[in-house]
Amino acid sequence: MSTRPLSGVRVLDFGLLTAGANTSAMLADLGADVIKIESGAYLDPFRVVGKPDDNAGWWNRSPQFRFTNRNKRGLALNLKDKDGQRVIRELATHCDVVVENFRRGVLDRAGLGYADLKKINPRIVFAAISSQGDTGPERMNVSFGSTLDATSGIAAMTGYEGEEPRISGMDVNYPDQIVSLFATGIVITAVMEARRTGQGCFLDFSQREVASFTLGEEILAASADPARAQARRGNRQDGVAQQDTYKCRDGRWIAITRDTADPALEAFCAGHDSTAAVAALLARGIAAAPCNDGVDLLKDTALAGVTLARDDKGGLVKGLPYRLDGRGITIERAAPDLGQHTEAVLRELLGYDDAALRRLADADVTSTTPNSGET
Amino acid sequence: MSPSDTLPLQRFTIVEVNDRDVPLCLRLATSLAGKIAADLGATVLKVEPPGGDPMRRAPPHLPQGESALFQFLNTSKRSLVLDLAGDSGRAALAKLLDTADAALFEEPASIAALVRAGKATPIEIAAFPVELDAAARPVSEFTLLALGGLLHMVGEPDRKPLRLGGHQASYAAGLTAFTGLAAALAARAAGHTAPSVRVSLAEVLQWVNWKAASGAEASGTSPGREGRSSEFQIVPCKDGHVAVVYTVTQWPATRALIGDPRLMDTKFNTRAGRRQNVAELYAILTPWFAGKTRTEIQTTAQAKGVPFGPIFSPSELLDTEQYVARGFLAKLGDYRMPQLPVQWNGRSFAPKPAPELPA
Repeated sequence: MSTRPLSGVRVLDFGLLTAGANTSAMLADLGADVIKIESGAYLDPFRVVGKPDDNAGWWNRSPQFRFTNRNKRGLALNLKDKDGQRVIRELATHCDVVVENFRRGVLDRAGLGYADLKKINPRIVFAAISSQGDTGPERMNVSFGSTLDATSGIAAMTGYEGEEPRISGMDVNYPDQIVSLFATGIVITAVMEARRTGQGCFLDFSQREVASFTLGEEILAASADPARAQARRGNRQDGVAQQDTYKCRDGRWIAITRDTADPALEAFCAGHDSTAAVAALLARGIAAAPCNDGVDLLKDTALAGVTLARDDKGGLVKGLPYRLDGRGITIERAAPDLGQHTEAVLRELLGYDDAALRRLADADVTSTTPNSGET
Repeated sequence: MSPSDTLPLQRFTIVEVNDRDVPLCLRLATSLAGKIAADLGATVLKVEPPGGDPMRRAPPHLPQGESALFQFLNTSKRSLVLDLAGDSGRAALAKLLDTADAALFEEPASIAALVRAGKATPIEIAAFPVELDAAARPVSEFTLLALGGLLHMVGEPDRKPLRLGGHQASYAAGLTAFTGLAAALAARAAGHTAPSVRVSLAEVLQWVNWKAASGAEASGTSPGREGRSSEFQIVPCKDGHVAVVYTVTQWPATRALIGDPRLMDTKFNTRAGRRQNVAELYAILTPWFAGKTRTEIQTTAQAKGVPFGPIFSPSELLDTEQYVARGFLAKLGDYRMPQLPVQWNGRSFAPKPAPELPA
């Protein structure tokens, strides 16, 4: 496996939740060695949001955390502690990429921003993923998932005909999902440049811009015609004769797109079970599909392709959005417990001995349990 | 340091093959991947069929009749026309593939075998995973959103499922294909054999919608559209709408922002409690928004660390202070469009106009 696209690339991963942590996960998918930094004082919020119970070790049992952090090693180092900051700076000299999605300024205040790390490692590629980007009057604004459905333009174009706008909601948080699909490619491009020139760079990603970018043609059309109507139109689409979801006799909804309008479609669906309706429409050359839910997605393994996988503990985890040489993901390690690899990585990369590791643990710089009262 | 007039992908050549009779939703994805590479400096040769890529005629249209969709998705590329149904067209394509680094194309396509046999790394975009024997199945972007489970997530539970605005299926796949392309180029640049890349819209959508699978696995039932029973609602304000959104830890700040003593009731203290009493919760929250503008709401809420989302239309985004300050919207002739959503050492990547159809 020594010739995977990112073999030999090491990532210092401060990524949290989806936008940051998943960008690093995609780099791991391509062969990078990803070391995730958390702290006992501040866990990846996915450990908290997804906790199944309050029993000891709850912080290691979140499905969302497990989904997103497979194939990473995990360290817990206190970013607010001078010794924690020193250890991270030492780690940064052994890394090629930093990924972070803290609120702007957090790493700068810890002496771990791009300006600091560039001095000790000029080839570092520093990917900063934030709500609004690193500059501009709104740079300090916070957002959570569907905040960006709203502010990017997507919500304004989503909704029932003539009704109020809609967001993707907390079970999708759509804007958080797509940023890593783009950011990963840009980080790879920057790694190529760093290999070629010896110089890294600062990559400033605005999640809101990524979401608006997906409406590029609408923004372009609006710039030519400010009066252009961009109201909610249900499932209809310009240039498509008929497109909607229809309820079938068995109560299930199916989606249909037609090149020519058929006023009898609604009655046809109401008179047939969904499976029969879809099959009949497909046989007539009409695009039709059931509106699957999560249970359907788990059942249909052919449709799932490479998007889901199991770790060595049997837990369901995120697979790949694409396949390379026809293959899906190999899960080499399950998502790390908090601080699971702190000692191993500090020994391996920095040559720390027992005494040095004990000093850090005694000072609560390293830990394997939350120590901020969150329990 | 590389001088600012060099672009990161400028040493690479990519052929984007637009075969005939390919579903538009695949073409959008291929085109987006090629556009990103072209804006980053790669030489992207768009091989169009006689008469041009049908996307040249797709809505929305600009006042002179050109397609805004085509203009946006084909910036910074070059174009040439080849009739790939004929031997000479295929021979010309084979020659281009011999000197290119990568080739983007859609599957199924008549030239798939030809592209896979070339020296350029193949990046193929399909509707379905290979496991699904569905090569000839009629398909649309909308039905793929249904299969991937995204339609199920948006709307009211007792009303029809809704799609998200825009071309989200194709664009998510296009971003994925770009990342796969970058990985292939990185492998080549390091002297390794690059992996072939295959992207299907169906897989990308399920990957994006992973919380549906995760939720179904954890609880046995799938998350789904919650509409008016969701903790997060759209509420009207003086000049439009605002999305009420906050994390669990931001609830106390949200409560303080609204400042209504009824919110101190312990039944609102937990997410479960707020969901159980959501109608009552919104009866208390909604009046706070009614007399305020979106800008006032955003400013007041952000000052308390509350991430409410004012809803802006695409045309309003043209004047958004943040986008103007960051130069996010590139001028292209008389018009403006988003440029790549990244700044690289403070630098943006200005797109060049899409190519006209060669005579």
